[in-house]
Amino acid sequence: MKFKKGNKRAQMEMAGLVVIVILITLGMLFMAQFAMKDDGKKKIFTRKGLAYSAMGGFMKVSINDSQCSPGYIGSQSPRLGKELIEDCANNPSGVSDSIYNCRGLHTCEFLQQFITEQLNETLGVWGRDYIFTSKLIIPDTENVVKLFDYIKGGNGCPKWKDRDGSGLFPIHTGSGLVENELYLC
Amino acid sequence: MGKNKNKGRRNKKGQARLSESVAVMFIFFVLVLFGIMFYYKYSQIAMVEKEERLVDERAIDMTLRTLFLPELMCTRGKAEPEDNCVDMMKVRHVNNTFQYFDYYFNLFGYAKIVVYETYPGNNNWVLYDRQRINTSMEYRPTFFIVTLKDEASNLVEADYRFGYLEVGIYT
Repeated sequence: MKFKKGNKRAQMEMAGLVVIVILITLGMLFMAQFAMKDDGKKKIFTRKGLAYSAMGGFMKVSINDSQCSPGYIGSQSPRLGKELIEDCANNPSGVSDSIYNCRGLHTCEFLQQFITEQLNETLGVWGRDYIFTSKLIIPDTENVVKLFDYIKGGNGCPKWKDRDGSGLFPIHTGSGLVENELYLC
Repeated sequence: MGKNKNKGRRNKKGQARLSESVAVMFIFFVLVLFGIMFYYKYSQIAMVEKEERLVDERAIDMTLRTLFLPELMCTRGKAEPEDNCVDMMKVRHVNNTFQYFDYYFNLFGYAKIVVYETYPGNNNWVLYDRQRINTSMEYRPTFFIVTLKDEASNLVEADYRFGYLEVGIYT
C-alpha cells in the first residue's frame, strides 16, 4: 500500500516536470523564431519589380555617343537591347572588330562598362546586391558563351542566397539567342 | 506522549509538502510571467513590422500609380502603353499640374515624386512634393528604374534615356 502511494507521488512529480520542460521548450522555440526573423526593412516584394524594370530600361536605352554612329547605317542612336547586343554577339571581343565603337571601345567592352556604371549609380547607391548576366546560346551545339564577364554589385547574388530575378530577356541575333538576366538580393 | 510525537512528525511532513507546493507554484508562475513578457515583446515588434509592411505597401501602391499615370506614361501608336517608361515631354510640364490640384493630393497624399536621369545627363525633375507643416516626419523613398522617352531630342525616332523614379512617402 505504502509503495503504491510513493509511486503515485513520483508519477505526479514526473508530470509536473514534463509540464515545466514543455513550457521551457515553448519559450525557447518562441525566442528562436524571434531571433531568426528577417529584418522588416527589407522590401522583398519590390525586388522582382525593380529587377524587371532595370532590365526593361537597359533593353530600351539608346546610346547617344558620336563615336557610336560611324559604323552604323542611318542616323539613329543604337539601342542597347537591339543593335549593341546583336553586334556583341555577332562580333565577340578578341575575335573580331565590332561595328559600333561607342566611347572608342569594342561593343562588348562598352556594354560591360556602361551596364556597370548605370547599375552602380542606381542599385549600388541604394545598397542592393546584384548580378547581371548575358549569355549567348549557340544554336545546334547548345553551347553557352558569356558575352562579357558577369557584372556584380556588393556581394553579388549567389544561387544559395535569397534572390529574385528579372526573368530572361531573350534577344534573337544572327549568332544565336542572347539571354540577359538580372538578379537582386 | 506517543500521540504528540506522531502529531509533530505529521506536522513537519505537512510543512515540507506545503513548502514544496509553494516552490512548484512559484516556478510555475515565474514561467508564466516569462511567457507573458515574451509574448508582449513579440506582439510589440510584430506591430511595428506590420506598420512597416503597410507603409511599404502604400509606397509600392503609389509607385505603381505613378508609373501608370496617363499624365506621365509613355504611349506609342494608338495610346498603347509602354512598360516602366516616363514621357519626358509630359514630365517637363506636369509639375505645375501636380502641385496645384487637389485631385493629385487625393491620389498621392503627403508624398514626393522625383524623376532622375542618369544617362546621358544627370538631371532631376521634382514632379510633386507635399509635406505636412510643423510636424516631424519620416521620409521613406522607393526607387524604380525607368526609361525616359524623349521625342523632342530626335526628329526621326524617340530617344530612350536611362533613369529612375523616386516615390517617397512622409509617414
